[in-house]
Amino acid sequence: MNAAEVYDEIKEMNLTYLMLAQQLIRADRETAQYRLGISADIADIIERLTSSQVLKMARSNMVLCRFRFDDRMLLGLLSSHEHDRDISHTHATILAGSRAVEAVA
Amino acid sequence: MKNKSVVTEAREIQLAADLIRLGARLQLLEVETNVSRERLLKLYKEVKGVSPPKGMLPFSTDWFLTWQPNVHASLFMSFHGFMLENTQLRGLGAVVKAYRLYLEHVELHGMECVLSLTRAWTLVRFFGANMLKMATCKECGGHFVAHALDLTNDYTCGLCHVPARAGKTKRHAAANVAAANLVAANFAAAKRVAQVAMA
Repeated sequence: MNAAEVYDEIKEMNLTYLMLAQQLIRADRETAQYRLGISADIADIIERLTSSQVLKMARSNMVLCRFRFDDRMLLGLLSSHEHDRDISHTHATILAGSRAVEAVA
Repeated sequence: MKNKSVVTEAREIQLAADLIRLGARLQLLEVETNVSRERLLKLYKEVKGVSPPKGMLPFSTDWFLTWQPNVHASLFMSFHGFMLENTQLRGLGAVVKAYRLYLEHVELHGMECVLSLTRAWTLVRFFGANMLKMATCKECGGHFVAHALDLTNDYTCGLCHVPARAGKTKRHAAANVAAANLVAANFAAAKRVAQVAMA
């Protein structure tokens, strides 16, 4: 994968992320906040972005969304094969519910 | 209480109908809406096609502490807590949003829907009355439903230490056998295909 390809892929991913986020927030704001793990402020900002702003933001060499589960316990639960998968996922969901969301400083 | 505004009443009836569809019982509707009892009764029959169940609401906090209900109640409370902490939703709005997320989770993972909307609503009321609290598991750090007066410094949750027979109901066993049969059938079919390909 050369630099141009990487850049293209990242742009594609950013665009998909922002568009999905906008769609989710517009359909059901609170549920979207839960799914995306973002605060009300960020939800506001994303919702108000115009199409040209979305394009501008997506055109970057950085991925805009961050890795959410920065916790060994949670990652273990989500990826483990040891236990019943549904129970592990339920456990992970319970843990994830009390995580802090992404917020603007 | 009699509604003065027709528009307000229409909105309340819409809300009540949505709640009935989600499985609310009459007592919940009476507390949360200003629609009269007779109208609610009529509405219930129209939406569900049957008379509302009679009798009292479940009033025991103990139900939420047995293994399976505790997992489901804690799951619901994690959604509910998120709504209170991060959104503007309060009261019934937060309960309904959290309950929809709960239903989605249950459906996604093919689990049994143990918590009804009325149960979930009662659960939140128990928290409001300080009869239940969230205890932090010392192993995973998750928050789980516990009695308000329990000593929970050394609490471990039912998911870190699953009781030996938890979730092993007859129905579960039957589902496991069915799944095993399916795997065996698929394996046999794959073997046959492989033999045909070799020949």
